[in-house]
Amino acid sequence: MRPAASVLLLTTATGFGFGLLAWLGAYSVLGLLPGHARVLVAAGVATSLLFASFGLGASMFHLERKERAWRAFSQWRSSWLSREGVAAVLTYPVAIAFAAVFWRDGPVIWARLLGAAALVASLGTVYCTAMIYASLKPIRQWHNRHTAADYLLYAVFSGAVLFATLHTLDLGAPGATASAAAAAAAGIALIAKRAYWRHIDAQTPLATLATAIGLPKGIEARPLDAPHFTENYILRQMGFAIARRHAVKLRRIVLVVGFALPLVLSILAGLTLAPMTTTTLAVACAGIGLLLERWLFFAEATHVSAVYYGRRI
Amino acid sequence: MTMLPERAPGAKRLGLVIDLDTCVGCHACAVNCKEWNTGGEAGILPDYDKYGPEPDGVWFNRIHSYETDGQGCSRTVNVPRSCLHCEDALCVTVCPTGASYKRVQDGIVLVDTDKCIGCQLCSWACPYGARELDEKAGVMRKCTLCIDRIYDEHLPPAEREPACVATCPSRARHFGDLADPDSKVSQLVKERGGVDLLAGLGYRPTNKYLPPRRATIPTAPVKPPAPGGKGIGAALLGLLDKALSR
Repeated sequence: MRPAASVLLLTTATGFGFGLLAWLGAYSVLGLLPGHARVLVAAGVATSLLFASFGLGASMFHLERKERAWRAFSQWRSSWLSREGVAAVLTYPVAIAFAAVFWRDGPVIWARLLGAAALVASLGTVYCTAMIYASLKPIRQWHNRHTAADYLLYAVFSGAVLFATLHTLDLGAPGATASAAAAAAAGIALIAKRAYWRHIDAQTPLATLATAIGLPKGIEARPLDAPHFTENYILRQMGFAIARRHAVKLRRIVLVVGFALPLVLSILAGLTLAPMTTTTLAVACAGIGLLLERWLFFAEATHVSAVYYGRRI
Repeated sequence: MTMLPERAPGAKRLGLVIDLDTCVGCHACAVNCKEWNTGGEAGILPDYDKYGPEPDGVWFNRIHSYETDGQGCSRTVNVPRSCLHCEDALCVTVCPTGASYKRVQDGIVLVDTDKCIGCQLCSWACPYGARELDEKAGVMRKCTLCIDRIYDEHLPPAEREPACVATCPSRARHFGDLADPDSKVSQLVKERGGVDLLAGLGYRPTNKYLPPRRATIPTAPVKPPAPGGKGIGAALLGLLDKALSR
């Protein structure tokens, strides 16, 4: 599948934003936010909505007819893309109310309830995003049990490193809980990514050319003439292929930059070793790594319709 | 509305039956489809770089040619590929705007191009590669089963069929109601063992493909030319051949 910049930025940035909001919500539910954390909560919610807005804004560039985007809120009963839009828009007022109540009254029951709502809404939005991909049956690398869990994990991970940075900005250190959470999330995300790659490497293609054209068993087919001499829309979108040796290199970079480095940096930050530098670096590494990870998620995905053109699926 | 409609009892399921045994791969169906669907007022099938080095454009119908081996023979199989108007059309349910829909009365899957935002998710959801983006208008295009022909009462009844069917010179394309077990197309599917493409994915396509039949004319393997033979005559001929070849 062709990795479009708009979609890569959308899923990565909303992952950071909604992931951060989920952590703020979780902290508030668990009563880990003291009354003097109002600046942290306000700045955190503002940052999370900034990231989410950047991602949602980027997604607009994927639409050919942006002026009709409002229509996308209508089909939430069947479409995960529509549900994503609805969930994202619902998350904003919840997040703002959470920050406002916390700012005024501190960790009162209402603030904690709104925090819980923000946690559910933000992770719900990420889940809807993931399900857009996970529900597409023609793409075996997406239509599996890993996709939704992975998107949630990467959002939680990127939110955790961002939260540790904000915590440091506010209080001078990320705190043991936040840095331990970031390190643990990085570790789990790394394991999940490796498990995903093992899974897709072991899959068999959804069809062979012979089954795709409905030939009886025992007959093999190979392409003779393509419908047209030049590339077309289907081939540009679904026929995108990445060389195996490049994929192997990029996977290593993702594991090291995206997950291993943030893991180590988070531990260093937890030991109060130049926490401002280490937490910021962890966010930068996670950002670059996850963008690359998202690029691979598309580039390595194959669409069954490409089989009609004799391409590897 | 992108929920799939409940099938009303007695509702039609219009679709195509394509005979892979008799399709000669002439592309006439694709050309007539393009002509019919571009010729109207809307001009909805755009072309890009028409006379340049990389001509490209939207086609509802694309014809692939394959070589096959098996059942004791090799042969060419031509496969016209277009929208199959699936019963479980994922392209419809993924649509966030309600632009994609399946008609209750005849099962035809259409795009309301006034609502389409060009997010292209439907093209990702289709395993048959039947939906293409109109890069000029920024909306998705797909086969309409020539809805503007099949219901046009100004046309003589015999012409109320899709352009691809009307033009096929080898009668490899058939149009009809696949919900009616007595219709000509349903009978054809039954007789010839018509199949669903990519049946395993569970889209339950309406269009059916009739697999190529086994060759029924026995053909003897070609014998290699007889060697020169033995004896004095063959030896003399061999000498003569050598002398003349010098």
